[in-house]
Amino acid sequence: MATLLLLRSLRLHRSLRPRTRPAVDVPLRAGSHGAHLLYPDHIPTTPLQKMLLAAGAAGMALYNPYRHDMVAVLGETTGCHTLKFLRDQMKKDPEGAQILQERPRISLSTLDLSKLQSLPEGSLGREYLHFLDVNKVSPDTRAPTRFVDDEELAYVIQRYREVHDMLHTLLGMPTNMLGEVVVKWFEAVQTGLPMCVLGALFGPIRLRTQSLQVLFSELIPWAIQNGRRAPCVLNIYYEQRWEQPLTALREELGISPPPKHIQGLA
Amino acid sequence: MAAPRSCVLWRSCGRGWWRATGHCRLPGCRRSWPWATLGTRSLSQEKRAAETHFGFETVSEGEKGGKVYQVFENVAKKYDLMNDIMSLGIHRAWKDLLIRKMHPLPGTQLLDMAGGTGDIAFRFLSYVQAEHQRRQRRQLRTQQNLSWEEIAKKYQSEEDSLGGSLVTVCDINREMLKVGKQKALDQGHTAGLAWVLGDAEELPFDDDSFDVYTIAFGIRNVTHIDQALQEAHRVLKPGGRFLCLEFGQVNDPLISRLYDLYSFQVIPVIGEVVAGDWKSYQYLVESIRKFPNQEEFKDMIEDAGFQRVTYENLTTGIVAIHSGFKL
Repeated sequence: MATLLLLRSLRLHRSLRPRTRPAVDVPLRAGSHGAHLLYPDHIPTTPLQKMLLAAGAAGMALYNPYRHDMVAVLGETTGCHTLKFLRDQMKKDPEGAQILQERPRISLSTLDLSKLQSLPEGSLGREYLHFLDVNKVSPDTRAPTRFVDDEELAYVIQRYREVHDMLHTLLGMPTNMLGEVVVKWFEAVQTGLPMCVLGALFGPIRLRTQSLQVLFSELIPWAIQNGRRAPCVLNIYYEQRWEQPLTALREELGISPPPKHIQGLA
Repeated sequence: MAAPRSCVLWRSCGRGWWRATGHCRLPGCRRSWPWATLGTRSLSQEKRAAETHFGFETVSEGEKGGKVYQVFENVAKKYDLMNDIMSLGIHRAWKDLLIRKMHPLPGTQLLDMAGGTGDIAFRFLSYVQAEHQRRQRRQLRTQQNLSWEEIAKKYQSEEDSLGGSLVTVCDINREMLKVGKQKALDQGHTAGLAWVLGDAEELPFDDDSFDVYTIAFGIRNVTHIDQALQEAHRVLKPGGRFLCLEFGQVNDPLISRLYDLYSFQVIPVIGEVVAGDWKSYQYLVESIRKFPNQEEFKDMIEDAGFQRVTYENLTTGIVAIHSGFKL
């Protein structure tokens, strides 16, 4: 009896859900809870807040490069136009459209580590695991999207973040400051996200002169060349390509091997 | 936070019955389902289970304590830095004014509730130390005819530089106390401090044990403010003073708009950039709006049994100091 009433109340409630803001809200008060949450973790923000966040995040990221969450916030607050363009690009490509449809996530819970471990040496899966081990990173350290005001675009930027590690593997770049800047250059050319462009332009500020020389003379031209040659990396369904040898995938995307072994630098 | 969905349901449906639907829909919610077993009797006779506000959200009273604990656990390490940034350093002046109003004399037993990082406690210690030194100097000056033996004795004896004053810093949150203890070490406050983990609604102290009770920027986070006030009344000695420094409501409409704009647009952004925590600072600014205004709070203090209750607005009402006596 109680359950019947409950089901009826649930159905009734769904139709009654208010579309207007609660009376307590004043235009200046952007509440972070209420009927307008598009996805869990969503924090609706006003344009003023986005501007302040972008400025603050940019400053903090430069001041303390270990604040990866600030880089993420910068990406979310500045990327709305570019994300729309990227989403449309993904829709045009069949593999990209499949990704948008199925919304795969790369995290430790969705990855079958034992299966990846069993793959042959040189395959994408093995190389990715190797990359995670060597650099001591985990796919779960990516912060969830919070400030994007569109649910599909929130997924696009989340996918971009999770693919970032794949790019490190594809480009053979380590996760030190120099490697990150190189990957940012590649991503800036590929995606055009303002955060990537800013990261690419201002990231080198924190590098030593020795690294800067290598960066400007060899790595940046290489990254730009590959970025222009390769198709949109967001359109690659990596989860279906674990067995593919890394060299084959690189050839497919037109990515040449890195010019110099840069482990010791930065 | 899992709470956002539930608050939509609370607001749109006034009846208590809908509560059950709200909670069951949240993934991973901790609450079990007591209502389902009560049957139809529960519809009409059921007392609305106690709800309260957590910022602009509505939560059950049981939940609020836990959520507030989490907020302060998250902000503890950057608490002082954030205070300085958010108030542009003005909070220091507010706290100084509180101690000046208190004008504690050496020998005072102070209970600093929600004292967490020790701002009030350390100011109190500095103040009584300075007062004590002033007194001693005055005393020495009047005693013109001391023999050199007596003077030597005065310098040799292990004088308590605080003159018997003691401040008990009590807070419900372990992390805040940890930060406070570390600060005490860093600032060199070794004597006159006691750190106690306790709940403002149920203080672990005997009746009539303190001369002054202060609570600075803490009482708005308490679930049952009236209980906290009653406890304050209980543990104060007759003649003891209750002092509360808390955010209030601004009367001037222009300043109120600017204050709102700053609170809601800027403070959570600062929280995100500096401390990596938007939601805690969103809660903090919302809880200020939910706190009763200065007059209502004055009435609540009087209800708890305090007399000669007054309040003083600071910074056009953004902050107010309420004072009452147990007579």
